Amino acid sequence: MSVAHETKKQVAEIGEKYKYGFVTDIEMERAPKGLSEDTVKYISAKKGEPQWMLDWRLAAFKRWLEMREPNWARVHYQKIDYQNAYYYAAPKNTPLKQSLDEVDPKLLETYKKLGIPLHEQMALAGVAVDAVFDSVSVATTFKAKLNEAGVIFCPISEAIRDYPDLVKKYLGTVVPVSDNFFATLNSAVFSDGTFVYVPKGVRCPMELSTYFRINASETGQFERTLIVADEGSFVSYLEGCTAPKRDENQLHAAVVELVALEGAEIKYSTVQNWYPGDENGLGGIYNFVTKRGDCRGDRSKISWTQVETGSAITWKYPSCILRGDDTVGEFYSIAIANNFQQADTGTKMIHLGRNTRSRIISKGISAGKAQNTYRGLVSVHPKASNARNYTQCDSLLIGGKCGAHTVPYIESRNPTARIEHEATTSKIAEDQLFYCLQRGIPQEEAVALIVNGFCKEVLQQLPMEFAVEAQKLVGISLEGSVG
Amino acid sequence: MSSASAHWLDERRALAANRFAALGVPHRRIEDWKYSDLRTAIDGANDDAAASWKIATLPEGIELFDLADVGAAPDWVKAHLGTLPQNAMASSSFAHARTGFAVRVPRNKSAEPLHVTFANAGSARALVVLEDGAALTLCETLVTDGYANLGLEFIVGANAQLTHIRMAPHSAGAVQVEQYAVTVAHDGVYRAHFFNGGAKLSRAELQIALAGANAQAHLSGVSVLGGTAHADITTHITHAVSHTASTQLFKKIAGGKSRAVYQGRITVEQGADKSDSRQTAKALLMGERAEADLKPELEIYADDVKCAHGAAVGDLDANSLFYLRARGIPEAEARNMLVRAFLEEAVDEIADESLRATVWQAVEDALPGAMLP
Amino acid sequence: MLEIKDLHVAVDGKEILKGLTLSIAAGQVHAIMGPNGSGKSTLSYVLAGRAGYEVTSGSIIYNGEDLNALKPEERAVKGVFLAMQYPVEIPGVTTLTFLKTALNAQRRARGEKEVDAMTVLKTVRKRAAALKVSEEMLKRALNVGFSGGEKKRLEILQMSLFEPKLAILDETDSGLDIDALKLVAEGVNALRSPERAMLVITHYQRLLDYIVPDRIHVLAGGRIVAEGGKELAHELEAKGYEHIVGKAA
Repeated sequence: MSVAHETKKQVAEIGEKYKYGFVTDIEMERAPKGLSEDTVKYISAKKGEPQWMLDWRLAAFKRWLEMREPNWARVHYQKIDYQNAYYYAAPKNTPLKQSLDEVDPKLLETYKKLGIPLHEQMALAGVAVDAVFDSVSVATTFKAKLNEAGVIFCPISEAIRDYPDLVKKYLGTVVPVSDNFFATLNSAVFSDGTFVYVPKGVRCPMELSTYFRINASETGQFERTLIVADEGSFVSYLEGCTAPKRDENQLHAAVVELVALEGAEIKYSTVQNWYPGDENGLGGIYNFVTKRGDCRGDRSKISWTQVETGSAITWKYPSCILRGDDTVGEFYSIAIANNFQQADTGTKMIHLGRNTRSRIISKGISAGKAQNTYRGLVSVHPKASNARNYTQCDSLLIGGKCGAHTVPYIESRNPTARIEHEATTSKIAEDQLFYCLQRGIPQEEAVALIVNGFCKEVLQQLPMEFAVEAQKLVGISLEGSVG
Repeated sequence: MSSASAHWLDERRALAANRFAALGVPHRRIEDWKYSDLRTAIDGANDDAAASWKIATLPEGIELFDLADVGAAPDWVKAHLGTLPQNAMASSSFAHARTGFAVRVPRNKSAEPLHVTFANAGSARALVVLEDGAALTLCETLVTDGYANLGLEFIVGANAQLTHIRMAPHSAGAVQVEQYAVTVAHDGVYRAHFFNGGAKLSRAELQIALAGANAQAHLSGVSVLGGTAHADITTHITHAVSHTASTQLFKKIAGGKSRAVYQGRITVEQGADKSDSRQTAKALLMGERAEADLKPELEIYADDVKCAHGAAVGDLDANSLFYLRARGIPEAEARNMLVRAFLEEAVDEIADESLRATVWQAVEDALPGAMLP
Repeated sequence: MLEIKDLHVAVDGKEILKGLTLSIAAGQVHAIMGPNGSGKSTLSYVLAGRAGYEVTSGSIIYNGEDLNALKPEERAVKGVFLAMQYPVEIPGVTTLTFLKTALNAQRRARGEKEVDAMTVLKTVRKRAAALKVSEEMLKRALNVGFSGGEKKRLEILQMSLFEPKLAILDETDSGLDIDALKLVAEGVNALRSPERAMLVITHYQRLLDYIVPDRIHVLAGGRIVAEGGKELAHELEAKGYEHIVGKAA
């Protein structure tokens, strides 16, 4: 049997490898099913929001009713029935505890099972966690320590009440309310998410992280994250996501906005491991996400790193608006699609300022019957003198029934700009596999080793605490696919 | 004889007309026409006018048929005319055109170069059939003005070789729309070079199917644009079966307020293993208000393939420029040298020396305009 | 240790080995010499179990076991090591990571305890110095950007690390200058032991001046056409393959 044949066979033998597929049995409170102005009002009331926030949501909802779902991405799915879902679900009686001791032990147990210890004494050294369970934040760690440094790290629902001026000043300024169908939906019904503000000149003393968990059935998760790095500050933020194994598809439509003021730097990392559906394509999360960063001030920098291994459908394009002069945007991505997963992901680098620089490194791996698309735009506007972009997109195919696609858009309107794009598509070389086998490494491990090597440039961008985890995840995602 | 009397033709024309009616004139909100807003450019002009074509001398051994007499078409025309995929505009030209020509190179015949010129405004069609083992060099020149919509179909048989040189010198007021639908049978080769001087809007679209094992397509081209010229080369090569190969090398110079567009899609279908595909598109912007848009796209459904694309937009390499100036070459001259070297790489893909010289002359004629800021 | 009987091997349906018979006992070093296209590399690949090298008839018995029934990684675990003519580059995977992965995979398969990175590093260091494999090389991606000599030295380092029972050296001398050749040969000689058999495959006699074999087999047209002691190498060098092969035919 040839190695290629063997690989294909093993791709077919996907096991039940998703280890986050359990459900937490906890009493939930939900909004009535369906989506209407009343749903929006219900969510806003639940959050105890001020009138301005409700008005903002209602305006978004009105706009959304006139919008149409986009269909340009290379993803195919059953039409989503927006009336047949819950838009708010929260564990009963657990909003915003002052201390972790008050948090429902069932929730603490859930996060422990997910490998996210919330007890501060147990927490990973130097990582503060905001835990979002369905529609609410259930715990935020290290708040006191961060407060000392002047860093605000809290659920966005709390920020709307406690820091209305900051929220009003920045919310919706990077991703406008009417940006796109899913972002507008999110603007109307977002439930929770994280707010971060790093004051002038402050280097955030620890990694910040939000852990998103979908638990309730028939429920969408619509989180909203806003991170503002004031002049000369630095913050590194990481998000992780998991969901139970279910036969239904659940919608996740998040919006993330980043604002970097003069000289500030934001490093945003994602390890996305939503339930991908089973080997027949049943179930899994529909992940429609709008993420955008605005390098608003000169010499600011925004760096996106993503490891996308989960979700039945991924539709996300973390982007950078390089508005200030001498700003830098980066996008490092690993997208793995296996079985019937479909991923359409990439970035936009919009060069508006002078001497702006961007770098895109994308590694796509397709296996099973999955379709994996890189879609990216590099746009240089007339005033962006000396703009520079370098893009490298590599795709790896495992088996002959999957697809790997590359759709780059390169638009330059400045003669001094320089844009370089390179892309390759190939399979795992048979001689590499044989070499590993000859040295006694079993096939499955050999594939994981080679793929991790293929992804290395991206993996090494992740914060140390998560790099090892992500590396294992790459292996596990393919373990499902390659034996 | 009336041109529209044959049943087979009426049927194909009706299908094309329906397709066009459904699709309409493309505009910038249609993904494939994002960088070429045809609807705005033609502003209501219709496809009923007839563009003219002229073949100065017909080389020995080539059979020519005037599509104006299409009702009396021989079997080989009936077998192929209108059978290859048509985009919206090719559907329109097929439905509307009443002028055009068809040529056939018989089995194992190597013909002398065939020179054809399209002129005036309106629609026209062409069909080129190379039977198995045949060889032909087709030199096509566009001197259209106003709005011309041309649809060409090339059937490249097994072991046949079609070399295609397409010259479109600058024509400020023209809107040139062309679709080239090409199918290449096993061991056949299609080579093409496109020279674009630009027009008000120029769109050349190639739909190439590598339909048999060892079929190959090798495309190259240069766009040398100045003023407000626009030139869009859009290619779609489908590797339908295994062991097929394609290469592309397109170079663009955009001065003034011109706009150079390249969209290239490569599809490798499931099972088309051992396909080899390379694609390079590069643009130099010379004008402060010039624009380059490149979209090199890969669509891969087979794992045992080698596909790579590269694209770059920039200005002249500062180091090279400095090196030349340090050797005493004045800046303007140094820039000229580097620009020529940049374009030469693509023109060098033309094997025939005299054809290469012809294309290079067109480059030289267009360069002064394209070097203006 | 190794008994090959009337071995026929086809690649892409074409027969390359046509009835090869060969046996090697533990502690012995045998050399396979032969002109280009004689089937030398095919023999090494079929012993290591590379896909696409199909045994159509005959047998390969290794320590009493049918080698052909085993997967490549199982053979490795049981002590078959192939030092390749063209060691493969694996971008992004550091040499040390690779060594650790392979060592632990073999240990795991043998039911031995896995070792941590520090222990691997210490073990590797001990052996690396003699082969002039630097720390810096260990940190680089496996074989990526290595010179021909570096690649071959790393192969021998792996052989020393994995302590195989049967080592097959496929054209280990190719692409090496004389100093590199001596270094590699010293490395190989250091690994000669009564428990280990080696099969040295080479086109030239040169390597056999440094790794002196117990026996030489001449392979031509997919069969062993001549056999003899170490002096056979010099005869081949002096008279050429044509002479020996012609005589056998």
